[in-house]
Amino acid sequence: MGNSRCTGRVAGALAVICFSLGCGKPAAVAPSIDRNGPVEVVLPERGAYTGAFIDFGEAEDEVALETIEGFEQMVGKHQAIIASSSYWGEQNFPNANLQMIWRHGSLPLVFWSPWDRPYEQKKGPDRFSLNAILAGTWNRYIDDWADAARGFGHPLIVSFGDEMNGDWFPWSGIYYGGNKKIPGPVKRWEGPELFKRAFRYVVERVRARGAHNIQWMFQTNNYSSPVDVWNSAAAYYPGSAYVDWLGLSVYGQQFSEEPWVDFPPLIEWPYEEMARVDRTKPIMIAEWGVGEFPNSGDKAEWIRDAFALMERKLPRMKAAVYWHERWQNEDQTYSNLHLNSSPEALAAYRKGVADPFWHGDLALRSAPAAQKKIPAR
Amino acid sequence: MDADFPKERTGFIFSDPAGRRWPRLRLTLLFTGVAAFIAAIFFVQTLFVTPQLRLPFTLRQLRGQLKSLQNKNPAGQLPPNVPLWQKFLSARAAAKKPVAATAAIAHKSTGGEVRMGFYINGDPYSYKSLEQHAAQLTHVCPEWFALVDGLGNFQVDADVRIPKLAARKGLALLPLLTNLIGDNWLPEAVENLAHGPPDRQDRFLQNLLAHLEEAKAAGVVIDWEQVDPAYRDEITKLLEKMADGLHAAGLQLWLCVQPGQDLDYIDFDTLSDHVDRFVALLFDETSDTDPPGPLASRHWFESWLHALLHDADPQQWVIALGSYGYDWTNGAHRAETISFPEAMSRANNAGVGPGVVGPPDHESDFYFEDADKEHSVSFLDVVSFLNELHALHDEKAGGFALYRLGTEDPAIWDALNLPRPIQPNDATRSILQPLKGTDTITDVGDGEIVDVDETRADGARTISLSQDGYLHASYQSFPEFPTLYHQGAGGEHQVALTFDDGPDPKWTPRILDLLKANGVTATFFLVGVNAEKYPDLVRRIVAEGHEIGNHTYYHPDLAVCWPEHIKLELNATQLLLETITGRSTTLFRPPYAADTSPSSLADLAPLRIANEMNYLVVLENIDPQDWARPGAEVILQRIKQQRRDGSIILLHDAGGDRSQTVTALPRIIEWLRTRGDTIVPLSTLIGSSRDAVMPPVGNTQRLPRLVSSAGFRVFHAIAEFLWAFMIVATALIVLRTLLVILLAARFRRIAPASVEFSPPVSVLIAAFNEEKVIAATLRAVLANDHRGEIEILVVDDGSQDETAAEVEKIAEKDRRIRLVRQSNRGKAEALRRGLALLQHEIVIFLDADTHLQSDTLRLLVQPLLDDRVAAVSGHAKVGNLRSFIARCQSLEYTCGFNLDRRAYDRWNCITVVPGAISALRRSAIADSGGLSLDTLAEDTDLTLSLYHGENRIVYTPDAIAWTEAPETLRTLARQRFRWAYGTLQCLWKHREKVFNWRYGALGWFSLPSVWFFQILLVAITPLVDFLLLASLPFGAWGAVLPFVIVFLAMDVILATLACILERDPIRHAWRILPMRLIYRPLLSYVIWKAIFRALKGAWVGWGKLERTASVPVRV
Repeated sequence: MGNSRCTGRVAGALAVICFSLGCGKPAAVAPSIDRNGPVEVVLPERGAYTGAFIDFGEAEDEVALETIEGFEQMVGKHQAIIASSSYWGEQNFPNANLQMIWRHGSLPLVFWSPWDRPYEQKKGPDRFSLNAILAGTWNRYIDDWADAARGFGHPLIVSFGDEMNGDWFPWSGIYYGGNKKIPGPVKRWEGPELFKRAFRYVVERVRARGAHNIQWMFQTNNYSSPVDVWNSAAAYYPGSAYVDWLGLSVYGQQFSEEPWVDFPPLIEWPYEEMARVDRTKPIMIAEWGVGEFPNSGDKAEWIRDAFALMERKLPRMKAAVYWHERWQNEDQTYSNLHLNSSPEALAAYRKGVADPFWHGDLALRSAPAAQKKIPAR
Repeated sequence: MDADFPKERTGFIFSDPAGRRWPRLRLTLLFTGVAAFIAAIFFVQTLFVTPQLRLPFTLRQLRGQLKSLQNKNPAGQLPPNVPLWQKFLSARAAAKKPVAATAAIAHKSTGGEVRMGFYINGDPYSYKSLEQHAAQLTHVCPEWFALVDGLGNFQVDADVRIPKLAARKGLALLPLLTNLIGDNWLPEAVENLAHGPPDRQDRFLQNLLAHLEEAKAAGVVIDWEQVDPAYRDEITKLLEKMADGLHAAGLQLWLCVQPGQDLDYIDFDTLSDHVDRFVALLFDETSDTDPPGPLASRHWFESWLHALLHDADPQQWVIALGSYGYDWTNGAHRAETISFPEAMSRANNAGVGPGVVGPPDHESDFYFEDADKEHSVSFLDVVSFLNELHALHDEKAGGFALYRLGTEDPAIWDALNLPRPIQPNDATRSILQPLKGTDTITDVGDGEIVDVDETRADGARTISLSQDGYLHASYQSFPEFPTLYHQGAGGEHQVALTFDDGPDPKWTPRILDLLKANGVTATFFLVGVNAEKYPDLVRRIVAEGHEIGNHTYYHPDLAVCWPEHIKLELNATQLLLETITGRSTTLFRPPYAADTSPSSLADLAPLRIANEMNYLVVLENIDPQDWARPGAEVILQRIKQQRRDGSIILLHDAGGDRSQTVTALPRIIEWLRTRGDTIVPLSTLIGSSRDAVMPPVGNTQRLPRLVSSAGFRVFHAIAEFLWAFMIVATALIVLRTLLVILLAARFRRIAPASVEFSPPVSVLIAAFNEEKVIAATLRAVLANDHRGEIEILVVDDGSQDETAAEVEKIAEKDRRIRLVRQSNRGKAEALRRGLALLQHEIVIFLDADTHLQSDTLRLLVQPLLDDRVAAVSGHAKVGNLRSFIARCQSLEYTCGFNLDRRAYDRWNCITVVPGAISALRRSAIADSGGLSLDTLAEDTDLTLSLYHGENRIVYTPDAIAWTEAPETLRTLARQRFRWAYGTLQCLWKHREKVFNWRYGALGWFSLPSVWFFQILLVAITPLVDFLLLASLPFGAWGAVLPFVIVFLAMDVILATLACILERDPIRHAWRILPMRLIYRPLLSYVIWKAIFRALKGAWVGWGKLERTASVPVRV
């Protein structure tokens, strides 16, 4: 049935009710700091920033203020980080999105993913392959993107080629020779090595354009697929000089045929592994979420566990970004990662995120414009 | 005798024996009058002649922008390899329960064919359609409930008229329960309710039942979409539970079935035993979020119909048939849902040629281009409807439901009456082929800057029957409907702020400050009256770069105005704005535009007139209703909710307390900017410039501008003066009333002397044609109980009747009476002559028609015991109470004597001792220059002359004399004219006494009172009355009313007090209200007449005045 236009009034009334539940503008910025001047984000001494990706559509870039505000009203907290994507197939820099996120008082996290339309997983490399990047085919695009990022003028976090240790994205090592050994004294494999080269290449190009407002994130999936040494996070790590943040994707059950897995095993070992990859960088749970499968597991419980664990056992974790999305799979089943997939799940999240451990407002400090970005801590 | 009196009358106040004043004055008046008249004509002419708005572009271009595109096939959806209906069929076959589901449930409706209509809230055409065609329907399904969360809470958004209408028309009411909020389906709301604990479901069900009961509904129709089939079992249980609860309450449960993936969550085998009806929604084959495609193609429809009804009880199935259209704009996220008339209108305007092929092989569709955007339109019509209906009958379905009322091809209703199967014979053709252009208003384009075309024309299509039994339609020409052409949607991130009803001295500056501080340019729709009052604000608005628009002069509801009135409103405002700013404006917003979108021709007319006058009509599509003061937070929230669907925000900078708007404004601006919006003036929204929508006024228009400018200033000055006058007058009246009450309350009767004062007195009566009354008057005088000597002198002023004889008759019996006769010379001269002949020091002036009481004389002279007292006023009362006029005067006398005179006595400033009954010292008269002949009001003149030295003038309320009041308006008018003229003369003659310290209260209180309250106020009130009447049509009476109430209240208070003092019944006091209605115009008339006479310098003979009781009250 076609959606009616006439229900907006009531929906409005509802939104008003929601609003009264609270969550105003960020108030943490010290008045002496000009947010729009050269600033950098200060990591919380204690606790972590909370953030989300929120139903931003097919290309993950349909960012709308109403969507963000609606989410914040729902969870009862302003978001320190808003995640969205910049797919290479769009051939643009999502400046409007990022400006809006910054004006809203949030730090943009951008998944800068080199793949082409249609954005379907497990189809392998396309015209944006790592080889093409390294061959300089996309230098112009990278430079333009870097210029636009510098023009953006505010801090942002860029996660290039995330979850490369999986087998679903076209930039994963498995599509580039995978476990093929490279002769030499040190154990090296073709897939991960190519990824590292591409990562460094991109970061260097962007830095060369002066976009020092970017903090780079190296983001793996919590467990590799396939699980093998060659495919481990350490194998893909491009080096401390190229990375400001270590990121992890941590998902519980997403598909109906998957088993339910409790939170602790999903994070504990991967966190340790990531902590070992680089001993200084801050760690971010760059994506986390779980589907609603009432007959397999208790989502509210899972969320409670997650909060409890993140708050107590992950001292280097300085941010966590929830993946708030519901989608339908090819087999007609749904994956409902929405926090409001059930009232209980939402209540658990609201309660968890309300803890002062979770910082919804950014702390900023001024940074000399010319000064090269130094990772926090 | 004549020789005793001077004939020379040059001393008469205002007389102009040379007769030069009037001709000069007349000439001056004539010239001024003609000049003012010509100026007024010019002014009015400038108002009526529409200024030539030099609109450099026009919205009408929009129509030129629409052009037909050849069948350029849109990227339609390719049918899936395995159609979903086949999947559905095989899945059902696999899951089939061993027991056939045909076991009809007891409560299943087995009645006749179901004919249901889906009703859409807030669409006037949906209501109109339901009202008109209810007789052809059996059920109505209005939008009603929507689940908002997984806790079973739902919101109710219902049109309260529907239950009444359904009851009246005998329709079964089946409210709709969805999980749709705004544009979003909330599957979680259904899933969690189904999965939730039983008590949550019970609560929900009880709540639902209560609402249904209250609406007197027959059941509920459920339409839940996008639900995860993983919850299928739980949803089935929930629906079973709901069905049980509803059935127990005697209500039905109908379940909507959306073909496609949504079928997966419905367990047909189980539910067919519980649900009363399934409603298959066999439309939206292509949804509004899909790329363009058919809405219900033949193959799709019939395959689904067959798949759903196969192996089911077809009677349990109601099939919802689409009757609407989609207009996909290339690049837009969502198609616009349009009505059949709108599809026709768009085809007509785009000039789509004949040959649009209808069903069944095609969806009826066409393509056009509007302002470089490609459109693809698909619509469903009567032919698709009849073909579908035909298929329904073949499948023996239980009935149909029309989705939705208000957008349908109107021919559907006639077609329903045709015998089936439909044959394309002459009768059928005559019903189905013509395409009537009706009153339905159609919308074309996007944005809220509109242009109106009221043209209507019929179109035609040909209907034929194909070999396989399907009806075919071929559109030959498209009908034309009254159309609103929209533009000004602007870019995705462009938004305009508009402020209505200003300028306002309090709020507009604050809003301008905020806009300036934020660097925002807005548009102000100004109301003429306010612009006229605060031209500086208008200039400031323009100077600060904002745009201005015309919002009419008096903000009337234009839907009920004559066309000429509308033009006048627009022109007057336009001229005013041109005068103030030197710019025209082509922007116009009708008052009350926000309340309803135009849905009738009456709403359209003002817009058309404005269009014809070359205005761009600006409506709005973000209306936070700030005028209702919902709170700044709510204003902001409403804008947030509506921003996605609109680009023109309506706010107000006047018309009440706008503090909430002012508070919200910076937050609105901040939010819009955070959102990424640019706040632009309206001209930008339509791709134009400020100078184009507000062209500077050229030199050619200088003269009319000069005239209108002067006209507005004069108009303004007059209005301002009248307002100021009203305020001052009201204040003075209140002050005076209070003072009079205070003084009258402190009035003390002169303490009776220990020894009664019984001096010899002379009674002086001037008589002119008094034969009827003089005898009685004399007898009353003679019957007094005064112990002193009495002398009575009657001066007959040349009476033509038997007055002299009557007097002589009595005089024969009583020697105290003397008669002197003279030829007619007027009362003053008669009195003057009498005075000279009297013997005693104390003289009683008595009118020939005034009757004394036996104690009057005695009481009247008592104050004269005090040597300083020069004159004593008696208390005159109206003796003849036969007519209403006389009774009114009685009340007037009561007020005058009981309040004003008591009050004035207290401060020794009585302005007149009445010639009807008063006692004076002759020596005092002589000291004051004697009885003067130069005014018509010799008693007033004399009284005012007496104020010198130690003289006191007092009042004895107990010395009562009964006088005769005029009984007709005519005689009253004459009497009052004489008083008015006399008073004017006396005021002029004694003008040096006003505000003169030597005269104390007389100079500072009573004489100014006479000037202001008896002359000025009375002269000006007709203007105020006119203002009041003129303001009535504009609703400004509310502002005038308080003053009127104060005026009348003061009157009533005084009259009541006077009646109390007089010991009259208080109810008499209410007579003051009707009295005012008669007196005010009458008094105004005589005052103006007196003023004119005075200006003319004419001699006003008192002898012409009718004899009657005279001069009892002037205060």
